[in-house]
Amino acid sequence: MKIPFSWLKAYVPLTATPAQIADDLVRLGHEVEAVELPRAAVHGVRVGLITAKQPHPDADKLSLLKIDIGETEELAIVCGAANMGEGDKVPVATIGTTLPGGLVIKQGKIRGETSFGMCCSEVELGLADESAGLLILPADAPVGAQVGEYLTLEEAVFDLSITPNRGDCMNARGIARDLAADAGLPFTDISVAEIAVDTAVTTPRVTVSAGQDAPVYMARRIDGITLADSPAWMQASLLMAGMRPINGVVDILNYVMLTQGQPMHAFDADTLHGDITVRSAVDGEDFAALDGRELKLHTGDLVVSDERSVIALAGIMGSAASGVSEGTVNIVLESAFFRPARVSETRRTYAMVSEASMRFERGVDPAVVAMAMQQATALIIDLCGGTSGEIAVCGDAGAINAGRTVSCSLSRIESRLGVAVPAALDVVLARMGFVMQRDGDLLTVHVPSFRHDVTIPEDLSEEYARVIGFDAIPTLLPPLATTAPVRPDRFIHDAVAGGFLQAVTYAFISADEQRLFVADDGLDIALANPISDAMSVMRRSVWPGLLNAARRNLNRQQPGVALAEQGRVYLRTDAGHDENNVLAWLMTGEVEQDQWYGDARAADFFDLKGAVETWLQVRGLNGRFIADDSMQGLQAGQSAKIMVGRAEAGRIGRVDTDLAEQFDIDAPVFVAELNLDLLPQGKQAKFAPLAEFPAVERDLVFLFDRGVSSEAVLNAVRSGGGKLLTDARIFDRYDGKGVPDGKVSLGIRFGLQDAKRTLTQADSDAASSAIIAAMDKRFGAALR
Amino acid sequence: MSEIDSLKAQLESLQSEALSAFDSAADSAALQLLRVHYLGKKGALTEVLKGVGKLPPQERPVIGQYVNQAKAVLSAALDRCEATLSAQGKSARIEAERIDVTLSGRKLPAGALHPVQQGLDEITAIFAQMGFAIAEGPEIEDEFHNFDALNIPPEHPARAMHDTFFLKDLTHGDAAEPMLLRTHTSPVQIRTMKRFLAENGEPPLAVVAPGRVYRCDYDVTHSPMFHQVEVFKVDRDVSMAHLKGVLKHFLSTYFEKDVGIRLRPHYFPFTEPSAEVDISCVFCAGKGCRICKGSGWIEVLGSGMIHPNVMRSVGVDSSEFSGFAFGLGVERLVMLKQGIPDLRLFFENDVRFLRRMGVPL
Repeated sequence: MKIPFSWLKAYVPLTATPAQIADDLVRLGHEVEAVELPRAAVHGVRVGLITAKQPHPDADKLSLLKIDIGETEELAIVCGAANMGEGDKVPVATIGTTLPGGLVIKQGKIRGETSFGMCCSEVELGLADESAGLLILPADAPVGAQVGEYLTLEEAVFDLSITPNRGDCMNARGIARDLAADAGLPFTDISVAEIAVDTAVTTPRVTVSAGQDAPVYMARRIDGITLADSPAWMQASLLMAGMRPINGVVDILNYVMLTQGQPMHAFDADTLHGDITVRSAVDGEDFAALDGRELKLHTGDLVVSDERSVIALAGIMGSAASGVSEGTVNIVLESAFFRPARVSETRRTYAMVSEASMRFERGVDPAVVAMAMQQATALIIDLCGGTSGEIAVCGDAGAINAGRTVSCSLSRIESRLGVAVPAALDVVLARMGFVMQRDGDLLTVHVPSFRHDVTIPEDLSEEYARVIGFDAIPTLLPPLATTAPVRPDRFIHDAVAGGFLQAVTYAFISADEQRLFVADDGLDIALANPISDAMSVMRRSVWPGLLNAARRNLNRQQPGVALAEQGRVYLRTDAGHDENNVLAWLMTGEVEQDQWYGDARAADFFDLKGAVETWLQVRGLNGRFIADDSMQGLQAGQSAKIMVGRAEAGRIGRVDTDLAEQFDIDAPVFVAELNLDLLPQGKQAKFAPLAEFPAVERDLVFLFDRGVSSEAVLNAVRSGGGKLLTDARIFDRYDGKGVPDGKVSLGIRFGLQDAKRTLTQADSDAASSAIIAAMDKRFGAALR
Repeated sequence: MSEIDSLKAQLESLQSEALSAFDSAADSAALQLLRVHYLGKKGALTEVLKGVGKLPPQERPVIGQYVNQAKAVLSAALDRCEATLSAQGKSARIEAERIDVTLSGRKLPAGALHPVQQGLDEITAIFAQMGFAIAEGPEIEDEFHNFDALNIPPEHPARAMHDTFFLKDLTHGDAAEPMLLRTHTSPVQIRTMKRFLAENGEPPLAVVAPGRVYRCDYDVTHSPMFHQVEVFKVDRDVSMAHLKGVLKHFLSTYFEKDVGIRLRPHYFPFTEPSAEVDISCVFCAGKGCRICKGSGWIEVLGSGMIHPNVMRSVGVDSSEFSGFAFGLGVERLVMLKQGIPDLRLFFENDVRFLRRMGVPL
């Protein structure tokens, strides 16, 4: 919300600089987004009188002007506009001036003719977005004067962000009242002279049947107005406040709203039929709004209607048919107080926000309802002419929020703030409209009707805090709580330690991406209001996000990508929904690059499997990888489910090549995912004495059928190798030349050790024989 | 010439011949052959000794002495030559084994934590050290925990400002309220307090709750998903002064410098009084720069004293207990600390960014 400085000064004699006022506003809780300085922004632009105008010798569209700016010599200026003539007064930006758009005026030659300045339009002065040529100033403008001062451009405009609890401050009057109280300056309401009422002008009768929602409703008819543009000062004023001028009546109502805080509405009286009723809508009732929308209303919506139709959705928007437009002669003005919650609910139902609804929702000052009606009437008669009828009034503004008191213990306020609240502060709050009463530790405060936000003791502590200033509150460390430390989980940290870069991708993906790895089983959770189709479904796998990240990096010439992400996946369940914590990996492209010591190597299944195995191992877990050809989106023969303990905790595999191609990835892509919520607690290592007697290692090489599972082979070695066997692994795998078709040669290295003695040849021979027998029996495999 | 003189001459010539042969030996192997040739069982010296038999017995010991002396001289010379050759051999080997130590080493792949993770870790660690317990909560929330319990009733204007993502056909309770993605980590405050009170009866508790949050807002300075940390403490006599103390300690620790803090009155439905918190600009030390728009201050988080309605919603008596709460945006703090100019970089997952700005382990 933008408030010109002059609007504040109309209520309170402020003498501080705009910068000081801005600091005060911040301390009082009114965020200042910017302080604009329109007058300073056009400093150097002066009123110039065109004393001569000749065509440019070399350019049809340019003129050579002689301009008097009150100096001894006239200025020669080359100008491209066409709407000026000798004797006109125009704004002249003199050399050295910086215009609001950043243009610095210099002496220059235009088509051979020297120009000593620039004549300006509204656009160049920062007053409008468009213009039809130069701004022609009134004939009485004093030659040589600074245009900013002559046009009474604002010294400063405060751009404020008003918090939703301070509806009373969404206008100049409320802000001025806060500033006046804070600075101890007098606050004076704008006085309006008595308005002459013509009883021949008959204001419609007003009935309010939904009194709860409209405690005060006022209407007044004004006849015989001439609808023209509002005067320049008001237009400039509204523009600086960020509001576009429309016509005299609308501008006046906006001006009243921005200064006094009361949203008003004007109906074209000749479109109305009979009396006005403020009532609850009938279910299904039609309403054609000013913004062109056609609504079906619901019971409970508060409407203003005439005898035929709804003429306004109360406090939000008028109807298209009843609006003031060109040719309007007679009007009915409305000024009312609508219950904030009512306006809020209707506004949300129809997603229809207006300047009026924003103010009604946050609560306007009930005292202004009548004041605004008087001021608007006076301005309309003054600027548009016309004669005014009586005000029709329903309800009593004085009863709104009347008599609210909040009482509490002063020591409670002091303990919450951590600072004393001496009685001297009550004077400031009294100036803000509160009636303060202290009785020992008991504080009783009568809250002014415009402070809808003050209802509980904590609100009073905030008022005190605003007045004291947060800077005055000491900075103290509280006594430390003693809480048993929680050891961080380190899930992603261990993945990163394995050489992966941590990615963070969005939790929502596209519906198409969802289907890549998860069948359509109806368990997806979709967003009702997604930002785009690409971010419309809560992910059930982290893989699509990682694939997108991989694609982006490969496109940016990265030879290989190894990413890990910890995050949640989401799905429907019988009980409603579930969120699971998962850890996911992706590897593609080169894991090793060409180097002086070796050649580049592309990632394969076992690079990723090793990463997952190590990750499990460091937390005392073991994974079993069980080949599974049925996993969606993964290539058969290169995919497995990962069993940890009894849980199927994850999956790993190569991304189907067609699918990888959808992500523009040619290289094999490997992915893995573990559901962290399913992982059992890892085993904590227990101490065992270290072996004192030497271990023995033996190698045996067998020919197996090609499809054999090495896990099965090693399990058979472990179970058949005797109790001295400590370890067994595949140290060699070969199916090249010399190995019959359909066979594979596996070299098994096993270790033997006894805790109590040194082993003999007989021990290792016995173990070897046992293993050979087991391989024969279990796999029909013979020594090679 | 007497027999003995002839033998002596023979020995002397043999000795000098041997010494010069030793000196010219090319390597240890050649030297070994020479040792055998001169000092071996059938070597030259032994040959000379054979001539001793022709001598009269009284002269034999004299020659024996000569022979032993020659043996000692040659033996010592051999050892000396051997040592020299061995030293030469080692330095030749060393020279042959010389490597270019400037060649790249065999590197292990280095991963890195995402800068946001680093921020989360640092922030939670600071509060954990101050005795705050770490808590988490669901990202899919109901309206009660995300709004109502936090004193944001349906008609409240602040509710509209939250740009909430709602979930399609996912409802909660008998009234079939729509479920939503939490717009802040504040619902963890409600859930944690309820759980804590059920277990412990009454405060004190101090909690730090990191997590992902969602807002339906996507442009240069807004991401629809981002990270927040909610911090709150409830006890007897918790005051705004304590809030300021914790903020000052936290922000100075996080930014690794003594930052100034400024509280400005503000409005949040869930706190009263509420304050926006600014820190003295970490780029210009408060002098005024582009980042702080010349003000010398940077807004970093929202804070306040927990609203009595919030206390009531979890069953804490606000006349007996009070508390402070604040919520901070992790991305924003990380951007300020690391000088990262653009929020979108966090979610592009460009590995060059992750390697440069991430933290290796």
